[in-house]
Amino acid sequence: MSNLWIISDIVETAYEMLAKARELVSDSGGSVTAFLNGSEAQAQEAISYGADLVKLMQIPEKTPWEEYVPVLVQEAQGQKPDIILVGATRRGKDLAAQLAAHLDCPCVTECKTIQYGGTKALLKRMVYGGLAEKTVECNEFPLIATVAGRTFSKWEVNDTARQGIVSTLALPDKLKVKVVERRPKPKETVNIKDAPLVVGVGRGFSEASDVKLAEELAQAMGGEVGCSRPIAEDLHWLPEDRYIGISGQVIKPEVYLAAGISGQVQHVYGIRDAKTIVVVDKNENAPIFQVADYYIVGDLKEVLPALTKAAQEAKGS
Amino acid sequence: MKKIVACYKWVVDEADIRVEGKERSLSFDRVKYKISEYDRNAIEAGALLNEEKGCQFLAVTCGANVETSLKDVLSRGPESIAYVNDGALGEADSLVTSKVLAGIIKKVGEIDLVICGEGSSDGYSQQVGPRLAALLGYASVTFVNKLELTEDGIRAERKLEDGVEVVEVTGPAVVTVLPDINKPRIPSLKQILAAKKKTAEKLGLDAIGLDSVVLKEKTLSISGTVMERKNIQINSGGMPVEEAAQKLIQQLKADGSLA
Repeated sequence: MSNLWIISDIVETAYEMLAKARELVSDSGGSVTAFLNGSEAQAQEAISYGADLVKLMQIPEKTPWEEYVPVLVQEAQGQKPDIILVGATRRGKDLAAQLAAHLDCPCVTECKTIQYGGTKALLKRMVYGGLAEKTVECNEFPLIATVAGRTFSKWEVNDTARQGIVSTLALPDKLKVKVVERRPKPKETVNIKDAPLVVGVGRGFSEASDVKLAEELAQAMGGEVGCSRPIAEDLHWLPEDRYIGISGQVIKPEVYLAAGISGQVQHVYGIRDAKTIVVVDKNENAPIFQVADYYIVGDLKEVLPALTKAAQEAKGS
Repeated sequence: MKKIVACYKWVVDEADIRVEGKERSLSFDRVKYKISEYDRNAIEAGALLNEEKGCQFLAVTCGANVETSLKDVLSRGPESIAYVNDGALGEADSLVTSKVLAGIIKKVGEIDLVICGEGSSDGYSQQVGPRLAALLGYASVTFVNKLELTEDGIRAERKLEDGVEVVEVTGPAVVTVLPDINKPRIPSLKQILAAKKKTAEKLGLDAIGLDSVVLKEKTLSISGTVMERKNIQINSGGMPVEEAAQKLIQQLKADGSLA
């Protein structure tokens, strides 16, 4: 019999992990407990998506979410979960690592797949900035794995007849970190993750004013502009929400058009699942060409306007 | 006076790794090592607190082959370094690494602030910082892009998915920093020369209270990720840019990838 836990500060990711947890528990007669940053209604929803027990752990007003760790450690010592899946947000990763240290157990960050046969678990994850995939085996439990949103799929039809128990987790008495202010992120008008096409701006652009060439092209092709890390974080030519890569956005558009991007592995990590990759760059030796479906070798200042014009004409036709 | 530690990992430069053959095995034949990119920001953050606030500042590392890194790291600001170099750490995962680093930090003693990068540029497990906090009993403050010392602790800004969380800690803390917290220095000749005179303290695993290294996760395989791409040049043979642009757009439409 196996007991699984899922912990998530994003409810949607929790529902996705619940489907996986149910699959891993299979018919062993084990239970699935969900620790959720959500409402009572979302707790019921979690039950219909596969949880047997739901423990609500909302983000506290005066302290970070990760301060629940000592309480989770106590719960884990009592319930002895075999596998704990944690939603791989920044809060989730911090919490998962602290929990793993207290339980003296392995933690596999952002696993892509997980198989579990009761005595042994096999997990896959990316290493070397997405260059390679590693398969790890764990024979000792508990085992913690963090899971990014959209890695697994929630049940297509939730089972509203399912019954479960909902309770609320209390914070520990002693808190180490005080939250003095929370500033919500300004609402972006777009989310490049949802765009069917993204034009990526890289260091091949010689000045900020040239970015408009990419913007015009993105508009003509019905997409959005994204960029490499230095464009957002060092040069501040585009907002940080638009940077693509291992520590930024990971996108899956129909078309990714890389313009002036050299193609460091950290960037390629973020575009790996694009359906089609188009590359425009002057330097034919840039690593980005290795991941291109189609490419044009040439000067951005000539190629991008030509593409914009061709896209506009094609629209009219 | 506050005492600060920056942790770093000596990693292979992933740009030098080659994926070879049908099995897509990794070749490390020509790899060079480097201080993990994200850890350079951690070291810089410590160096700035040393220069601007007069904090004591040392670096800490562990691994199977870290002695070649000592001069490099010492030229980036730390006043000294304490490290464990042991062949048993070649395959060390986050669990083992954090135990060794915690052991070194306890051995050094009276550390007020530990700074780590948000993750390593090889494994990017992003665990060592928060694991260290748990092992040391310190506060964990991750994903920080603004950090300042207060009288009895720190004040920091965490960049999270939904916004910024401004936090304060009274007492010791482990902080992990994001790449945008600072711009790591390129050491000057003077700093490189000065590095040679700084002290490097080598510790054995036994000296930090670890008698053996137990790996709880076993790596079965590592293989290059497959990304099958068509790799077609649109403007081969000196085709004019306008023509190439039209050809590309038509191609994308024909593929059904452009509305």
